[in-house]
Amino acid sequence: MMAPALVFLVALLGWPALQVVFISFRELNLGELVRGEVIWTGFDNYVEVLSDPEFWTITLRTVVFTTGVVAATVLLGLGLAVLMRHLSRGVRMALQISLVLAWATPIIATTTVFQWMFDQQYGILNKTLVLLGFESYSGHSWFSTGASTLTVIGLLVCWQAVPFVAFTLYAGLLGASKDLYEAASIDGATGWQAFRAVSWPALRPVLAIVVFLSVLWDFKVFTQVWAIRQGGPDGQSTTLPVLLYLKGISGSGFGVAAAVAVLMLIVLVLVTWRYMRLLVRSQETEL
Amino acid sequence: MRSWSKSLIGGVAVALAVAGCAGSGGDTGGDNAQSGPRELTVWLMNGSAPETLTNALHQEFQAAHPGVTVKYEVQQWNGIQDKLTTALASNDAPDVIEIGNTQSPKFAQQRVLLDISADTASFNKDQWLSGLEGSATWDGKQYAVPFYAANRVVLYRKDMFEQAGVTAEPTNRAEWLAAIEKLKAKFGSDKDFQALYLPGQNWYSLLSFIWDEGGDIATQDGTTFKAALDSPQAKAGLEFYKELVEASGTKAPKDADEQTPEQAGIYGGGKVAMIIGLPWEVATAAKSDPKITELTGAFPIPGKAGPAPVFQGGSNLAIPANSKDQDLAKEYIKLISSAKYQSEFAKAGMIPGTSTDLSALEAGGPASAAMAKSSTNGKGVPATPGWATIEAGQNPLKDMLTAYLTGAKSIDQATADANAVLNEAFAG
Repeated sequence: MMAPALVFLVALLGWPALQVVFISFRELNLGELVRGEVIWTGFDNYVEVLSDPEFWTITLRTVVFTTGVVAATVLLGLGLAVLMRHLSRGVRMALQISLVLAWATPIIATTTVFQWMFDQQYGILNKTLVLLGFESYSGHSWFSTGASTLTVIGLLVCWQAVPFVAFTLYAGLLGASKDLYEAASIDGATGWQAFRAVSWPALRPVLAIVVFLSVLWDFKVFTQVWAIRQGGPDGQSTTLPVLLYLKGISGSGFGVAAAVAVLMLIVLVLVTWRYMRLLVRSQETEL
Repeated sequence: MRSWSKSLIGGVAVALAVAGCAGSGGDTGGDNAQSGPRELTVWLMNGSAPETLTNALHQEFQAAHPGVTVKYEVQQWNGIQDKLTTALASNDAPDVIEIGNTQSPKFAQQRVLLDISADTASFNKDQWLSGLEGSATWDGKQYAVPFYAANRVVLYRKDMFEQAGVTAEPTNRAEWLAAIEKLKAKFGSDKDFQALYLPGQNWYSLLSFIWDEGGDIATQDGTTFKAALDSPQAKAGLEFYKELVEASGTKAPKDADEQTPEQAGIYGGGKVAMIIGLPWEVATAAKSDPKITELTGAFPIPGKAGPAPVFQGGSNLAIPANSKDQDLAKEYIKLISSAKYQSEFAKAGMIPGTSTDLSALEAGGPASAAMAKSSTNGKGVPATPGWATIEAGQNPLKDMLTAYLTGAKSIDQATADANAVLNEAFAG
């Protein structure tokens, strides 16, 4: 019974993944691609990537960026989920509809709106800050340093990711029965104690999955980073996916790009190792 | 879990696409001329040849070659490099393609274009546009034919110049700066007024200033290029850019180019006296204010003495090495590079690539006339495969400009850094 499904999985997942690994050991530029030449170069691509000090800076930057965005997303999502639990029906509906709308807006459309908001000369943010009395923000450039640029990008990614996290966690919260909260309040539990004793156990497995997924998504986010400043200024907001694009698509160095892809996968596995084990274990205990 | 599985399927699709690319290739096209009805696939770019031109051209071509149909497809610039990469690698490659001049050396070096060195005479070689010719050549061989180009001019508000007492169009740097001072004296009380809107990353204008000083982006020796932005001439060009930014009091962002936000829209807002732009940006500006077309004049970008050299951006025509009908493709290029069709380009406001007859351009309004004036002094970027990487990726010239203008780096540091990035890209 499992055979057809397995064949499909191997064909659709295994083979392309294997191809990427193979390509990372080949010299494959535009010319080789067009002429269909296969040139094996061993670990040359890896040596080239790993010996570039820039690669390590970018890796560190990507990990820090991912951590920050995931933490902000999950905390905000958790806050909203708890809030939804306590809101009256009408207000909750309004909140949920706005969340869905934020989620449904195409990435590039949102990115463009953010670019307008943060525009140096005509952006509503600078204008508002000046109106509020912060004169120094007149003509302030939010994209003059890598840290500032990545913060804006982080905000943007976070804004788009929060709805999914909030809804998923809210669903987890609904799993804790109202009776439990009632019992807790009869025992004299404070709001915080009720959260620790009742909500938290219901949330934990969902939270683990949400964090895991967020790490995957935020680690490989490309569109927003590229659209805002192409990894600038001066390459200071370049993350690993942008590096992959620069090597592979801009530079037509598919072999080197594949090596970057494999290295990205390794970093990702290292970062999520604990969560993967946790996921596997929690599934075992549930069964 | 639903969206998880969706992104999984998406990922698989991407991986499959990549895998598909990797597996293809193999047998090349060749010249197996078929008998019977044939089809010539032509890819031109959006906004390139006017429809009236292609209609007439295809009619004439099909009449001259019975049994041949021209399959004409208009491509979008956005993402064209990826599309061409895929198409040129396939067994079903188009027969004639238009490629941006800065992308041409890359495709030529990878030997995915047909060597047409033997046929250049039939493509009007003696009248080729200087700014494009270099980009169509690699290692002494000809891989493409200049198609058309455009260069930047200074667009200005005639009414503002008149009110400020600027009677003649500036022809050199000193006159240009004097005009800016007069404009500022007249309109400076309006705090939104900008004598010249010049964003920090308008690197095409920087090239004009560098060339005017006698410098260049890189020096060429055969197929080896060496970045030369740290030369005194290049630094002088960069210094003039800064002088211009400071003298004009432009409020444009120092960390963006002329497209973000689109400068034509800002010019159309009516508070800007000059921009350095392409002739058709007047039409874009007119969308904000239709009166602007009437009020706009133009002059070539001023140099130290007389017009400065200008960057010529444009397109070349080439035949993919995988084309199945290369002889027919040559016939097609021969026809489109003839004076008859090239003059249509001039009429449409572009500099023809294979004809020196600019009369139609000179008659086409002030912006086109100014473009025609500086077109004889057109130059291109280094004709190296590495240049495509620079433009599709992170442009070190833009980073250099921003770092120098904002004071983040000294001029020596900024030029040395940009030089290093360029040399790395040239090395491939």
